[in-house]
Amino acid sequence: MTFKFQYQEVVRRPNPMVTINPLARGSGKVVDLQDRVDTLNKSSAWKRMMKQWADADKKVDLSRMPKVGMFPLGRMDIDEDIQRVLDDKHCSNKIANIFLFDPALLQTIQCILTSEGKLVSIDGQHTASTIAGLIEAGMVDGVTDWRSFEFPVQYIETDNLAFARRAFSILNGRGKKPQSAYQQLRNAVFIVRIDGDTSDEEDVKLERLVSIAEKNECFPIETFSALKKYPGTFGNIGTFKSCNEDEVELATSWHNKYFHYESMHVSTFFIFRDIHKAFKSAKLPVTEKLQEELAGLVQNLFGDLAQYQNSVASAHRLWTTKRYGYQANWDDDAYACALLQLYKHFGGQEQVAPNIIDRFDGIIDFFDEDILSLA
Amino acid sequence: MYYLYLIQSPKGRAGFGIAKDPQSRNRDYVAHCGDIVDFPFLYGGTSTHVKKIENTIKQQYVDNIWHIEDRPLEWLNDEITIHQLKAYVDQLINDRHYKVSLVAKDYNFTQSVLDKL
Repeated sequence: MTFKFQYQEVVRRPNPMVTINPLARGSGKVVDLQDRVDTLNKSSAWKRMMKQWADADKKVDLSRMPKVGMFPLGRMDIDEDIQRVLDDKHCSNKIANIFLFDPALLQTIQCILTSEGKLVSIDGQHTASTIAGLIEAGMVDGVTDWRSFEFPVQYIETDNLAFARRAFSILNGRGKKPQSAYQQLRNAVFIVRIDGDTSDEEDVKLERLVSIAEKNECFPIETFSALKKYPGTFGNIGTFKSCNEDEVELATSWHNKYFHYESMHVSTFFIFRDIHKAFKSAKLPVTEKLQEELAGLVQNLFGDLAQYQNSVASAHRLWTTKRYGYQANWDDDAYACALLQLYKHFGGQEQVAPNIIDRFDGIIDFFDEDILSLA
Repeated sequence: MYYLYLIQSPKGRAGFGIAKDPQSRNRDYVAHCGDIVDFPFLYGGTSTHVKKIENTIKQQYVDNIWHIEDRPLEWLNDEITIHQLKAYVDQLINDRHYKVSLVAKDYNFTQSVLDKL
């Protein structure tokens, strides 16, 4: 039986991402606050909220605005019913990390100031504890007693502990817009590319991965970016970061060679990460022929990996239900496993690492009939 | 066989969708409109490729999807004609080698053209 799915060339058109890739360089743009206010004024969400304020006759109570002052650390209490238990490893390995610690990066401590003059921490106990610990360990020249050491505190005057509890919850999650994985990646890349700072190994590693992807016209973007319609873009930064350089090279070069007209599906990284690892341990090459035949299989049976993902997820649901009597959670290992099982099923002759297909036994029987009938 | 239909509203708006049973789907449109509504162009092919084309239309026409308030529909804004949409689908099929082809024109549920396919 010969392998029956031949990859058919698709005309390559210039990829707009090559010129508009936001990671290629910083925008070099600094705007004033008016720019952001203008954005809000045009926003329908903002207009809706302002209408609610107007309807409710709500106004900003300036007396509730937080104040900032320098307070001796010894005045600070930590209400254990509000703040978490101290994470000593976070203090040691993150804040006080010998390679990362920089006093300029410390943030103000958030407290309430009671009518009795007590400062109760609602956010920042790890910073305060680390500074106090460093002083006690003799790491701050000229300061011997952390109790009298003054540190910037942002505070609100209140005796209301319910407020403190709510504030802690907001400061530590609900009210903060967390940095996305893409924003973190962008920061790392810009630290290396724009600032020329290569002092952090992780930043350098990430910039290198992005460079490999860009060389192959693949581009990380925000998950819900308008750029998603352009070829080569991908949004699952976590999976991308979990790959090493060889795996990113394999995944992105395959995508660029065969599916240069599509955005990049996250399964590409899972598939080629797993193939690379398994083939390496089996001392087998991932041949050009195998790569082209896998592309032919995907193109002929599914159109692209996004459609393959729908099909394999459906097959996995049916397979687990049949095998275990219930629908088990999706397992990313099934991407590469089922793809290579299909490859062999349709007569693929290239050697594949046995341990990669020796799982999800018979999962391909659960693919749609119109796919299997093409055999 | 799976189907991709291009549809035109009585006032001329272009739309699209996919169905396993286009006759039943067309009947649904007719029931909603209270009038015969044709699928000017009906394509048939493998389910994965038909679904792929539908997803590509949604992605590439993202700025021209007609919305009711915040809800995106499988209808396009006024600027896109049914013939522009057809030209785009034909180009996709041709360029990307999808196993999908035009199987009927001006199809509605009263016709039995699909029985012969």
